[in-house]
Amino acid sequence: MTDFMNYLVLGLTRGSMYALIALGYTLVYGVLQLINFAHSEVFMSGAFGSYLVIGMFVHDGQHLAWWQVSLVMILGLLSGALVGAGVAWALERVAYRPLRQRGAPKLAFLISAIGMSFFLSQLAGKLFNRLSQNQFPSYFDQNKAVLHILGAAVSRIQLIVIVTALLMMFSLDRLVSGTKLGRSIRGVAEDAPTAALMGIDIDKTISRTFIIGGALGGAAGFLFGTTFVFSNIMGFIPGVKAFAAAVLGGIGNIRGAMIGGLLLGVVENIVPTAPWDGSGGWIGLQWTDVVAFVVLILVLVFRPTGILGERLGRAA
Amino acid sequence: MSAEATQPTTSTREVVFDVRNITLRFGGVTSINDVSLQMYRDEILAVIGPNGAGKTSLFNSLTGVYTPQEGTITLAGRSGDTPQRVIGQKTHVINHMGVARTFQNIRLFPALTALENVKVGVETRMKAGPVSAMLGLPHQRREERESTSRAYELLTLVGLRSRANELAGSLAYGEQRRLEIARALGTSPGVILLDEPAAGTNPVEKRDLADLIRLINRELDISVLLIEHDMKLVMSVADRLVVLNFGSLIAEGLPEEIQKNPAVIAAYLGTSAEEAVAEVENQPELHVIADDTSNMTSLEDAGATPGEETP
Amino acid sequence: MSASIQRRPGERLRDNPLVGRALGCLALSFVLALMIGKQEGTQQDFGLAFREAILGPRIVWFLLIGVLVFLLLTFGPRVQPYVHRPGIRPLAIGGLTVVVAFSLLKWTDSTVVSDGKFSTLSEAASKTGQLAPLARTFFTPPLPWVLFVVAFAVAAAAIVLRKAALSWVGVALSVLVGLWAWYSHSLVVSLLGTPDHSTGALVALLGFLAIAAACAATALSAEESANTRGFVNRIFAWRPGMPLVAVALVLGVMAFAIATWFSPSNQNATLVDTASLFSSTGLAPLAKAYLSWLGYLLFVLSLALAAFAAYRRDPRLAWGAAVLGLVSLVLNLVALYSISALGAKSAFDGANGPWDNLGTGGWLASAAFLLLAGAGYVVATAGRERGTIARTQSDVLAGIGKIPGMSKALILLVVAGALFYPPMATPFWQKVLVSEIGIYVLLAIGLNVVVGWAGLLDLGFIAFYAIGSYTTAYFVGALPIQPPEWMRLSPLLCIPIAIVVCLIAGVSLGYPTLRLRGDYLAIVTLGFGEIIRIVAVNNPGNFTNGPKGAFGIPTPAIHLGPIHIDWGQSSLQYWYLLLVITGLVILAFNRLEQSRLGRAWAAIREDEIAAQATGVNTRNVKLLAFAIGASTSGVAGVFFASQIGYINPDNFVLNNSILVVAYVVFGGMGSLPGAMAGAAVLTWLPEFLKDQVPAEDRQMWIGAVILLMMIFRPAGLVPARRRTAELHGFDDASSAETSAVPAGEGMGGTK
Repeated sequence: MTDFMNYLVLGLTRGSMYALIALGYTLVYGVLQLINFAHSEVFMSGAFGSYLVIGMFVHDGQHLAWWQVSLVMILGLLSGALVGAGVAWALERVAYRPLRQRGAPKLAFLISAIGMSFFLSQLAGKLFNRLSQNQFPSYFDQNKAVLHILGAAVSRIQLIVIVTALLMMFSLDRLVSGTKLGRSIRGVAEDAPTAALMGIDIDKTISRTFIIGGALGGAAGFLFGTTFVFSNIMGFIPGVKAFAAAVLGGIGNIRGAMIGGLLLGVVENIVPTAPWDGSGGWIGLQWTDVVAFVVLILVLVFRPTGILGERLGRAA
Repeated sequence: MSAEATQPTTSTREVVFDVRNITLRFGGVTSINDVSLQMYRDEILAVIGPNGAGKTSLFNSLTGVYTPQEGTITLAGRSGDTPQRVIGQKTHVINHMGVARTFQNIRLFPALTALENVKVGVETRMKAGPVSAMLGLPHQRREERESTSRAYELLTLVGLRSRANELAGSLAYGEQRRLEIARALGTSPGVILLDEPAAGTNPVEKRDLADLIRLINRELDISVLLIEHDMKLVMSVADRLVVLNFGSLIAEGLPEEIQKNPAVIAAYLGTSAEEAVAEVENQPELHVIADDTSNMTSLEDAGATPGEETP
Repeated sequence: MSASIQRRPGERLRDNPLVGRALGCLALSFVLALMIGKQEGTQQDFGLAFREAILGPRIVWFLLIGVLVFLLLTFGPRVQPYVHRPGIRPLAIGGLTVVVAFSLLKWTDSTVVSDGKFSTLSEAASKTGQLAPLARTFFTPPLPWVLFVVAFAVAAAAIVLRKAALSWVGVALSVLVGLWAWYSHSLVVSLLGTPDHSTGALVALLGFLAIAAACAATALSAEESANTRGFVNRIFAWRPGMPLVAVALVLGVMAFAIATWFSPSNQNATLVDTASLFSSTGLAPLAKAYLSWLGYLLFVLSLALAAFAAYRRDPRLAWGAAVLGLVSLVLNLVALYSISALGAKSAFDGANGPWDNLGTGGWLASAAFLLLAGAGYVVATAGRERGTIARTQSDVLAGIGKIPGMSKALILLVVAGALFYPPMATPFWQKVLVSEIGIYVLLAIGLNVVVGWAGLLDLGFIAFYAIGSYTTAYFVGALPIQPPEWMRLSPLLCIPIAIVVCLIAGVSLGYPTLRLRGDYLAIVTLGFGEIIRIVAVNNPGNFTNGPKGAFGIPTPAIHLGPIHIDWGQSSLQYWYLLLVITGLVILAFNRLEQSRLGRAWAAIREDEIAAQATGVNTRNVKLLAFAIGASTSGVAGVFFASQIGYINPDNFVLNNSILVVAYVVFGGMGSLPGAMAGAAVLTWLPEFLKDQVPAEDRQMWIGAVILLMMIFRPAGLVPARRRTAELHGFDDASSAETSAVPAGEGMGGTK
């Protein structure tokens, strides 16, 4: 049981990051009906950006008081979000808008996004470094257990990740359902030409959608980098998983992305480790990714539009 | 609310479509409500009704695009076929059973040439597989030749022979409509469903279209089920009409009977039957059953005397 | 355009397009500075490279580029009228080509000159006393650049001012400078004495010829706007086949007069030298005759016959020219074989057997003979084409195929290049041709069926490649689990088995998933690709041998009666094997595209609902696309495994799947030549960039190239005829309505 709970918490931690990234995919899909393949690099740039900012304030081996830690965390989240939003904005301007204005076919968008993805990750590698394991400075004991639920020890960082992610998802949900910007996003998602007739500036709305998705992705980059390690090619695997999560929940559907992310994170950690007796499980953690994709395929085969179905407008 | 029109002349003929009590819902919206109708071999049956009456939904139910929740549809596509269930079958299977159709908002394959569009239809009956195509085996080449000549025949029939090598998407609107008909005929159907074939065409094209529909019906012995708003066209080609309103069948009968039917008049005017009759009596010049100003057919022109057959 | 720049009253500053443009150009400068900047920070100091790239004085250069782009964009409209003038396009291409030749390409392979590029070579050559003065003068910096700038300026002035006299001066100047460069280079090469594969001088010559052509065009054409297609059209309509004769003439003259035929240690023997070299040896009389007189005679004869036949448009003469060309080609190859075999036997250094130590001459001559034969064929068959309406097939190069003989000529040129360029290339490029370009071209052809023709986005295509490779590894016994003895096969026999296995894999993946729409299908196939790779890594049942993979996969061999062919280590042999495989696949797929299946694919791609209503069994048709694509990938896998000899899961990472999709779309979705061109260009580019940018930066540049391509030419390099309609839309609104309903997104998709 303890083992099960531990994996559940681990799954929730990873899952909430997937969910944050998946929101970026789903938002863009909602308004453009396109897979933003370069979103994984937005996530990556969030990690590097927040590292650069945080590195100015804290150093490895420092021990900070809890309020200082919270300040640094907030700073990291903000800087990650800011960098992510900036990169996502530029991405839309360079890789999407010109194609949209020419009425390019769908696949052309995908390929331009792939080109952008290669470009960004390699440019980051060139500018910063190509090491596979960069770490944030350790300025507090991340792994100290703060909470015990049914025998599972929840570490500080896990708690922080889950709580911030949930908070951000909640605010996004309110933003999309309650504000003017949210209404225009939903309008564009539902029917862009009509929305344009209603006086909604489509370009601006799409731009802002990218910015919102980018901010979430960038913040997720910070959380991921803090919890694990980061590198210029870190975006790829979580990006693919998050994309899978978005599809799992029903792409274009905001709540679907949240549920899909959490579910994917939990399933890919719980299933391979069954029966949770500490033996590493029948199939073992090396099959994590396979489990994730098999679940995805099964869900899609039996429910072809994901768990909650498509469409940003309808669900939000 | 269904007007019982009697057709003693047609009741003994072979039934193509036998629709019994179908109901189709989308979420809370009922698109077709308990509709029954029969279509007979070699007739031109027109389905009319105001916008949103469920005409296209009926077509989509007949061709397997939509699956009605209640009721049955049986089909004997080609002459001599034994009737088979339609609901639950895949669209392409229904097509193989002898049902071809066109679409209200033209759905050609715009990046294929006109000839290739028709060939797609012709070739669904052919057998040569990918291997014989890759090797260029004789029987595949023979089929290819047959399909090309058949496609040319059909293009000639609809008057597009000279545009055979144009991309379908670059044809004029009326030509696209005719090409769609040719593509549908390519599948050698026993019955063809035409969804507003005259929409957006000019009077000359409409006359040609009426001739074409008669030709398809008389010469090729294909039963025609027609959705059309243009009443002049409908009255001139249809053997029989059914009228839908708000998903329900409100009238069925010969063209002249329908023109006099107060329920139909009411449906088009949007008032109750009694009011409609009164209104029409007061204003004999009132134009009904037409939404195309250039082709309006007044009740007077059609020789109707409203009010005689109030149910 | 210029009107939009005017600021309207009440407009905010940020809405002014000039401001946006200026900011964009500024950003461009910074990005360029970063891209060309220093390599990497350290873990302690992440920002090092960033600071050095942006904060140093070098940023000024990049800002200047930004300003230049800004000015171009802003004043572009004023230049507009000139841009369409006849000659501008060749001028731009020529100028760019020369700049590339002068700054990026290698001018020598000799190790004496460090990186072999033009600047270092000219530096060294201008100081070399042994070099003829004419060549030495040419190489004196900055003379070559000055010559180029002058020639370019004269051409530009001629085009802008429309002075015929100036144009002819430009023609003469460009041709002279080009020839001078090429002549000087050949002197350097003969001085250095080593075999030379460098392309710089040749490319520079071509660039100068293009500039000359630009001048000629402006002198000959009075039109205000250029009509390149019309021009090409006129040439081909005048005498189909004549352009091929012209190319053959150039190649033949290079081969028989200048190029090296035999190049053992430090000798570059031209045809004359080779003839004298072998005059007293026991060379077969036929070969001897060929070297001393027969070769020249054959070339002149077949050239004259082909040209005459083309001029007279006489099919019988043309068939004669075709036969004569082929006979000459065979004789030429026999002669090449004889001298190289004899050379190897007499133990000239470095020769392992026949076909070694040959220079470029023999291969250029082969290409020339092939093209002459092809010219004959084109002329002989051109009469039949005349009068027919544009064929309804996907023309090789959309639109151009309508010109009689044009597509055939292009195909012939490509075939000649594919056959006779590789033996002239360096071993490095031979290897690249086989293990990068060739394989990925085959993969792209396969994926084009799935993505381009059937419109199904498959992001896990490499999985089938992996399955093909592992199938081979199993059946040749290179995996831990051995097949029964009677089932052990040679690699070539694995091809049918791999096809079947991949068909099954394709169908079993496709059957449950193909009803999914585009993006869902994409993620499912992507997941499938990852699953296959992870299975290979995790090694269940000890089948795949885990991350170590399989090794010791034998090379392919054919032992059929008296025929024994064994593919050893030479890349060249694999190239020809691959050429045969790819050629067969192309022929088969080309037929497939014209068949009912090809049309059914186009139909479901364009409008799935309409296709169903027309009786197309969409599931079967999609499955066939999947299965056929998968088996092509499987064949590539067999070839890969047996050529490289060892495989491991790292060969089959997701990135490769995505790259293949990028190749197909880059080349032009749905176009067979496009897919091949896309794969060839994008696999060639990183290897080419190797000499130009730091190795680690290659992917970054590739990404940028892909991005730019999609922004400026979203239909790809060679757009498909069946696709162009979708991309450009049509004149009237009716078709916009039909194409506004993508396949599967209409009535059925959103239920």
